[in-house]
Amino acid sequence: MPGPFEYFIWLSCTFLEIAVVVCALKKGTIRKYFLLNLYMATSVIVTAARFRVLTSHGFTSSEYIYLYYYSDALLTIFLYLALSSLYTHVFSELKAERYVRFGTLLLLAGTALFSYGVVHESTTKLISRFVVELSQNLYFVGLVLTYVLWAAILKLRETRTQLIQIVLSLGVYFSLFAADYALRNLYPSVSSLFISLLQVFGCFLPLAWAYTFWRIPEDARIVPSRLAVVPR
Amino acid sequence: MSRKLTVVLLAMLVLIGAMSLKTVVVAHSDGSVIMANGGAPAPPTPWKNGGAPAPPTPWKNGGAPAPPTPWK
Repeated sequence: MPGPFEYFIWLSCTFLEIAVVVCALKKGTIRKYFLLNLYMATSVIVTAARFRVLTSHGFTSSEYIYLYYYSDALLTIFLYLALSSLYTHVFSELKAERYVRFGTLLLLAGTALFSYGVVHESTTKLISRFVVELSQNLYFVGLVLTYVLWAAILKLRETRTQLIQIVLSLGVYFSLFAADYALRNLYPSVSSLFISLLQVFGCFLPLAWAYTFWRIPEDARIVPSRLAVVPR
Repeated sequence: MSRKLTVVLLAMLVLIGAMSLKTVVVAHSDGSVIMANGGAPAPPTPWKNGGAPAPPTPWKNGGAPAPPTPWK
């Protein structure tokens, strides 16, 4: 059962997620980054549902377990779609929206097929295993896609500060979880420390995005020489 | 048409890269999963119901030591 610290982090994270949507609304960027805000809004709704089920049924109840993992898969799909919208922003000058959409759907279908291939021989709880596997695989696809997007930003010499900040924070967020997971498995004796850090890491993305929407103007540009220079 | 093929190729490359990365990261995994959405405390996976110890795999019949593989 989670203690006061876990509840505090969870509550802080939820407030930060609300702050992202409020900041985007206030600064008029909600339509531009609609899928990012949709992800944050969905996360708030999911948090409310999880809290309700957790308090009424308990931490290890099958209701909470199923709600947690199924909603996590849903959120991962939303985050993946939000990431694809960032691709659309970066490649907007190349008029490649159609190809980004095609690639997004193809990769999602490929990941789902791969996930099914991994779990299809399981005799019990096939759907649950598929949902968790899809969530995991989509997470790693998102991680790789974020780094590819960052390389594209450097190559195209993107200067929109807001966009750069959003992509960079997403890269850091994904990397934190992957590093934590790898370290947890490398050093099982201190795995409880790494598990407790996961919740703190969960606050990073809403904090970074809320800061971006609140503090960085939409038309702000970053000096290209301050980024790593990649020859065209 | 070639642009679409390029997108297909890139998508496949990303998928291969992501699954390779996953293989590296979960190489020493204890069966736990990465959860990266929100700050909710993560429960055990759905197929870990109860605290009962996991039984041996079906092909480990009895307690006899396993012999070397036939091709050694």
